[in-house]
Amino acid sequence: MSKQINVALIGNPNTGKTSVFNALTGLNQKVGNYPGITVEKKEGICKLPRGVKAHIIDLPGTYSLNASSLDENVVIELLLNKNDKDFPDVAVVVSDVENLKRNLLLFTQIKDLEIPAILVINMADRMRYKGISLDIPHLEEQLNTKIALVSTRKKNGIVELKELISNYKDLSTTPCMNASEIDREYFDNLRKAFPNQLLYKLWLVITQDVNFGKTDRNEIDAVANFKTKTKADLKRLQQKETIKRYQFINNTLKKGQTIDLNTAKDLRIKLDRILTHKVWGYVIFFVILLTIFQAIYDWSSVPMDFIDSSFVSLSEWTKNGLPEGAFTSLLAEGIIPGLGGIVIFIPQIAFLFLFISVLEESGYMSRVVFLMDRGMRRFGLSGKSIVPLISGTACAIPAIMATRNIENWKERLITILVTPFTTCSARLPVYLIIISLVIPEGRFLGLGYQAMTLMLLYLIGFGAALVSAMILNKILKIKSKTFFVVEMPNYKLPLFKNVVLTVIEKTKAFVFGAGKIILAISIILWFLASYGPGDDFNKAEEIISTEYANQNLTEDEVNEHVASYKLEHSFLGITGRAIEPAIRPLGYDWKIGIALVSSFAAREVFVGTLATIYSVGSDDEETIKNRMAGEVNPILGGPLFTFASGISLLLFYAFAMQCMSTLAIVQRETNSWKWPILQLVIMSGFAYLIALIAFQLLK
Amino acid sequence: MNEIIQTILVFIALGLAVSFMIKKFSWKKPKTKKAFSDAHDCDKCH
Repeated sequence: MSKQINVALIGNPNTGKTSVFNALTGLNQKVGNYPGITVEKKEGICKLPRGVKAHIIDLPGTYSLNASSLDENVVIELLLNKNDKDFPDVAVVVSDVENLKRNLLLFTQIKDLEIPAILVINMADRMRYKGISLDIPHLEEQLNTKIALVSTRKKNGIVELKELISNYKDLSTTPCMNASEIDREYFDNLRKAFPNQLLYKLWLVITQDVNFGKTDRNEIDAVANFKTKTKADLKRLQQKETIKRYQFINNTLKKGQTIDLNTAKDLRIKLDRILTHKVWGYVIFFVILLTIFQAIYDWSSVPMDFIDSSFVSLSEWTKNGLPEGAFTSLLAEGIIPGLGGIVIFIPQIAFLFLFISVLEESGYMSRVVFLMDRGMRRFGLSGKSIVPLISGTACAIPAIMATRNIENWKERLITILVTPFTTCSARLPVYLIIISLVIPEGRFLGLGYQAMTLMLLYLIGFGAALVSAMILNKILKIKSKTFFVVEMPNYKLPLFKNVVLTVIEKTKAFVFGAGKIILAISIILWFLASYGPGDDFNKAEEIISTEYANQNLTEDEVNEHVASYKLEHSFLGITGRAIEPAIRPLGYDWKIGIALVSSFAAREVFVGTLATIYSVGSDDEETIKNRMAGEVNPILGGPLFTFASGISLLLFYAFAMQCMSTLAIVQRETNSWKWPILQLVIMSGFAYLIALIAFQLLK
Repeated sequence: MNEIIQTILVFIALGLAVSFMIKKFSWKKPKTKKAFSDAHDCDKCH
């Protein structure tokens, strides 16, 4: 049996840790959550020399072992808990060649925990551009470790790193420095009180006062007659420790690293000057956004048409190929159209994530954060709020979790409350199908009207978030101080592998996350649309033949009337009719009403629901778009999806709070039901009002 | 395929779908995770 070892990848943010993880594990990776909390956990398997396998965990980025956020707690908890099944046999600390000094702070802390540690110096290919040279033997000697010079971009150093990991038992566990020197008396007492414990581990347990709710260091007194210090004294000692570490690092790097500024060639400053310019910065950002939305439309139309017609053929094949009966109908009219309603959007979702990933990988996104900070302050938000607001374009759930790095509670709460306004990927299918139905295909200055509408909807979402933030900032009476620090990583060409893996991972999460709900809802909806109570449903054939006895209808026409009558008197039809009076002023019929209600489970269910409802009882094999375009308004006549009803629907989806999972995560993050309930009522009420006004003005 | 079998399959699918939705949206309050697990080797500290 081959041996498996645990390897923890640790490092500062923006050191290319995930690139190293991808290079080591390839596609053998999975993403989950740490138990009980919603911090993302990435793990994978890597084959090492001599048949050894490594279970690699990509831990959240952290600057030190002094945690200030839940993500950072994950790192510390793992490193302090030997009984954790993931406790590392070896820690691989990833650093960036340009920020070695800062990165080594974390490395020295990990070394002091006496965990075998390898130092990876990443982005080594940039050394010659930056005029950096390293004395590796000297650094290895000073830091008591082995160093791997790696360039994930050039694929250099990964084999050597695997070799070092497999020989982890040869690594020294001697600490880099003696932390007890910062206060000998205090540490001596600590050692006497807990003779069997590692001193630096004890120190970390005592000093972590953020988010460690259950850890009460005052209890130490009661347990072991150990006189601990006040909070202020401990803070002072922590500062002393950090200064001491940097003194050690400076001494180490004095000989180990030389930087020749004369040979350094750097475009960074020139690029920053343009990309963060107070006018050109915004213009460039706007042009980039416009290009993205245009590309989403232009590039994805061919694969989308292919997927759409494939699902139609599959549905037809199922209907004709399988024996007639209820289950065959469920497959052909319920499940396949329902799933088709989500799979069709894979190309557009993938392109969106492709662009977001490229912007993040290139280092441009941090410039956007910086650029936006000035503006965000006016709305009561922090520059850090831009991260949740931008990542909200993928999904509000991780975006709301990303607010955890906003230290100021008021700013964090406002960000949590307004993030669901940002256009998430679940809204995209709804927008795309409605836009394609009600907005003409023409172009203006080379830009399609449809692409511009889509971009406008994204801006509306973003604008709604900012305006509501401003209002909340005035209403909420919470006083707190705020500061903003953001790291500007170097510009770099995005790594193809990283971009592809991100696109696959995010698209998979979207399809499988929503796919399961859509599958279940399709089955339930098909059942509710195919069965009904009383004689109206069960004797539909008799009623229709009596009603149309005098008209010479063909068999197909009779079947169509029967199907329509049955649908109206099915469980679904009865429910739809009950809510119809409330949505009729918005220009919707009861079928859209059902789709609206079911999309409170998840917005993307809307298209699948309509696809299922329109398929039930229909003999025509049509694409989703054609079915929707063919729907007739029962009251006004003419197409149901007109410009007025389409805009009304788009606006409803732009503002309504229609995601149970988001409400659950808001409850969890704010630890109160008050905020998610307020969000649901206010956002959905506002959406209803705006949709009503839009339809009444445009009809 | 017999019509009865088809109907049974439909109801099985419906049962699975309904139970999935109930499971998915009947949130349980997440347990607060302790900073350190019970079996932690620093138990004496706190």
